[in-house]
Amino acid sequence: MMLLSGFAGIAATALWALNLMPLLYYEGLLVVAFPLFVLSTGLWWMARQRDADIPFLGY
Amino acid sequence: MIHYLLFAVFFGLLLLGIHRKVIARIQRRPGPPVWQEILHMFKFSFKSTWIPQTASETLFVAVVLIAIGIWTAAFFIVLAGGSLLIIFGIYMLHKIVEHGFGLSSGSPYGKFGGVRSVISAASEIPLFVSVAAITLFTKSLSISDIIAYQEVSGPLILVIPLVAVAMYMVIVSKMPFGPFSIVESKELVSGYKTEHFGVWRAGLEICNGLKTYVLLMTFILVFIGAVPFWLMLVLMVLIVVTLSFVCALCPMLSPFDSVTVQTLITAVMIVYVALLWWLL
Repeated sequence: MMLLSGFAGIAATALWALNLMPLLYYEGLLVVAFPLFVLSTGLWWMARQRDADIPFLGY
Repeated sequence: MIHYLLFAVFFGLLLLGIHRKVIARIQRRPGPPVWQEILHMFKFSFKSTWIPQTASETLFVAVVLIAIGIWTAAFFIVLAGGSLLIIFGIYMLHKIVEHGFGLSSGSPYGKFGGVRSVISAASEIPLFVSVAAITLFTKSLSISDIIAYQEVSGPLILVIPLVAVAMYMVIVSKMPFGPFSIVESKELVSGYKTEHFGVWRAGLEICNGLKTYVLLMTFILVFIGAVPFWLMLVLMVLIVVTLSFVCALCPMLSPFDSVTVQTLITAVMIVYVALLWWLL
């Protein structure tokens, strides 16, 4: 997902810079791709995953 | 465009760091470095992350994506000089997202935070009255038209100062550690975001940075007009410093008092706008 959303963002930027993609489509694509890229990058480089825990119920 | 989006995220986080620093200095504490919120964002993104057993998995993750997505959209709408109503619609969407954050986790603290975010929607009402007053003068809700109006008639902050104050109060209600920050009150641990830790919290930090930048940019464009880029950044810092003074010197209100004060502000604004309408 990280590669896909990152590539989509870069490709859209290049297409927009070359006037091959309208600004509105470019911005619409970034609205979808940017959050996906942020979260998938974090999930990729985060520390080792553990089992699910119960919610915090106080000290 | 994407570089400006990334700049907005980091500068927004820097503004939140300045906010924390100024509050700390007013309270005679050393406070964190101004880049602390940026470090926070990176720190959370490296942390081990999972979804609580009691959470609604789809909603738990989706709200983070939606939170970043709506403020990315808001950023582009302001840049394009789009409608003020869409920006305020996104404000309202953000309330629903906060609610979703709280309810999706299954944590009682998150749920209370989510419920309070709905209560604090009262802070949005002065916004609509502000819109009405702006429309009286500019005859348009488009940010580009409002900027064009100000180039001819001068900054709106001088024409309708009380409306600018109402909008300022809305920004106060969005700032952390403020008198209206009932969704993040300490008795709720971290409120609606209690269970969103690690990568999810990093996403929320990015959303907060972007939100702060968009709110301040909208305020400057609507009430001061188009200014050079460097001046806009300086004005953002100055506004944040004033917000920090308000947040440092005013105690956090109880939910009931918070809504009461915001409703009173709305009432004053309605009378003010009615007076403006009558005089025009």
